[in-house]
Amino acid sequence: MNQLLGQAWIPEGVDLFRFSPELTLVATIVLVLAVPMIMGRSARLVGGIVMLGIAAAGWLTWRVAAEVSGQGVAGMSPDPASAMLLVDNLSCFFKLILFFFAACVTGMWWMGSSASERNAPEFFVLLLGTALGMALMVGTLNMLLIVIAIELASLPSYAIVAFEKRDRAAAEVSLKYAIFGAISAAIMLYGISLLYGLYQSLSFVEVADGIATDLATGRNGVIIAVALLCFFCGIGFKISAVPFHFWCPDAFQGARIEVTTWLSVVSKAAGLILLMRLVHALAAAAGAEMISALAPLAWGIGILAMLTCTVGNLSAYMQTSVKRMLAYSSIAHAGYMLMVVAILAVPGSVGAASAVSALLVYISIYLFMNLGAFGVVALVYWHTGSDSINAFSGLIRRAPWLAIPMLCCLMSLVGLPPFAGFMGKFWILYALAEQGDAASWLYWTLFVVAVLNTLISLYYYMRVVVKMMLADDGQESVRAPAAGTIMVNLCGLLLIAMLIWAQPIKHFADRFSTNLYSAPVLTVDVGTIDQTTAHP
Amino acid sequence: MLEIGLNHYLVLAAIIFCAGVFSMVSKRNAIGVLIGVELVLNAVNINFVAFGKYSGGNTSIDAQVIALFVIVLAAAEAAVAVAICTNYYRNLNTIDIDRGDAVSG
Repeated sequence: MNQLLGQAWIPEGVDLFRFSPELTLVATIVLVLAVPMIMGRSARLVGGIVMLGIAAAGWLTWRVAAEVSGQGVAGMSPDPASAMLLVDNLSCFFKLILFFFAACVTGMWWMGSSASERNAPEFFVLLLGTALGMALMVGTLNMLLIVIAIELASLPSYAIVAFEKRDRAAAEVSLKYAIFGAISAAIMLYGISLLYGLYQSLSFVEVADGIATDLATGRNGVIIAVALLCFFCGIGFKISAVPFHFWCPDAFQGARIEVTTWLSVVSKAAGLILLMRLVHALAAAAGAEMISALAPLAWGIGILAMLTCTVGNLSAYMQTSVKRMLAYSSIAHAGYMLMVVAILAVPGSVGAASAVSALLVYISIYLFMNLGAFGVVALVYWHTGSDSINAFSGLIRRAPWLAIPMLCCLMSLVGLPPFAGFMGKFWILYALAEQGDAASWLYWTLFVVAVLNTLISLYYYMRVVVKMMLADDGQESVRAPAAGTIMVNLCGLLLIAMLIWAQPIKHFADRFSTNLYSAPVLTVDVGTIDQTTAHP
Repeated sequence: MLEIGLNHYLVLAAIIFCAGVFSMVSKRNAIGVLIGVELVLNAVNINFVAFGKYSGGNTSIDAQVIALFVIVLAAAEAAVAVAICTNYYRNLNTIDIDRGDAVSG
């Protein structure tokens, strides 16, 4: 017992400081539940607490990022070499995006719900719970924490999709979502149990090292493939990659529009960053001499990315609900981002750094495009009670200040200049081309598929634009709250501004992406880990 | 006399896993699917505990701790999923997952 206590690890103040954004979220969740018990269930009060909590968490993340960026990576763990929680530039970057987006979604909720809304505390407990799960998801390579983070992000999202209890559509789609999620999580856990059995470690860095050794000697090939495939099930569900995407359009259509906005950006981004970390750890452990052994991984991810893109875009074609169309479009965008992850599967690849930074730029731009587009859909829906494409006809006359930002966001989603979406696509294509020259023609195939998909997507986004600009069946004009109109117009303006100031944004992303490499490199040397955690 | 070893546990877990997956894909009743999920999670636990016992020279209790975590996760997941099933039943008067047709396209 004494020996155990001697080994016990008490976190220092500085460790807790690095964990403070997550702790702030937890405190906000407690406050959101506790304060209404004392002061009444006022929606405005709860919204205010949430805004303050998110602002505090964002500010702390900024402070942590400033501290961490010098040393590359910091972990909250007795042994920095196999930290359970990684606090590095990448996770700080995502957390900043996450908190900013959470504030925007809270603002949307504020506009969309009446002051007499009784269920505000429950709504925000679920929303912040998913945020906490995503914040953990991007900062770990430990398989137990990966499972916990994915579940922490998923379980509240099942409930938040079902939030309108009387709504038949919400009840249905939440059941589909929950069952899909439960199945994929269970299968992922089975994969993890196999990986644990093979390498007796929970740290994915050590597991990746074991996999690399086994691949070099040609042992355990089948079981590694099965385990990694099972593992991918859980992550593929989060990013709605194609064989696991069936929940996505349904859940996005049935949920409240704030929830759809929330899930469409950050939940996928968190899954992608997690996948990027895992793939990168595998490639780093394998080393440059094992490119052919990891080729199936690169091909697998590449083919899934192509399928995800194409299926998402083709299914969006004939949708009559704009919300559902945007859901399919978010599947397609997850496909573009997945293409970038395929680059990382090549050990020691030249394009890795530009791939990571392309992904980060894309995520930041995608956030504003989706926020603007869903914001306009929400404002139209709150006025007309419909999210069908017909509710948008003649919008340029009925509400010019909604139609113009919608045009900006949709064109940006296609990737047309002069909007920032063009830049996001450009960097992704650039990274693919760079890799195509250096490594294999797989990346040129991905390049061509991405360009073709952009052409396909032009059609269905244009359908909405044409409806807004050219068709007019004389519906009454839309009255939207001023704050909402300002928000969507800001998104539209930002999309133009971000193209003009593309270079600073790219530099910013470059700075955040370079240090990804210090994280696994620090921990990759298994020999030293064995010595530091010597068995008693 | 046959000695029970790691392989026996792994085969048992694999059989339970397959039974769980079969029940997930073949059942139309939401509760049936959830029971399949629980079976898979139990297969995971058998795997972990067996690895924890038989992995040579490893004194860490990681595997047992994960098994506890998985049990808690299964409970949390069941709580949320069953609540959602109840809500589904209240709205549709059935828990057949194929009957939901409010959204499509």
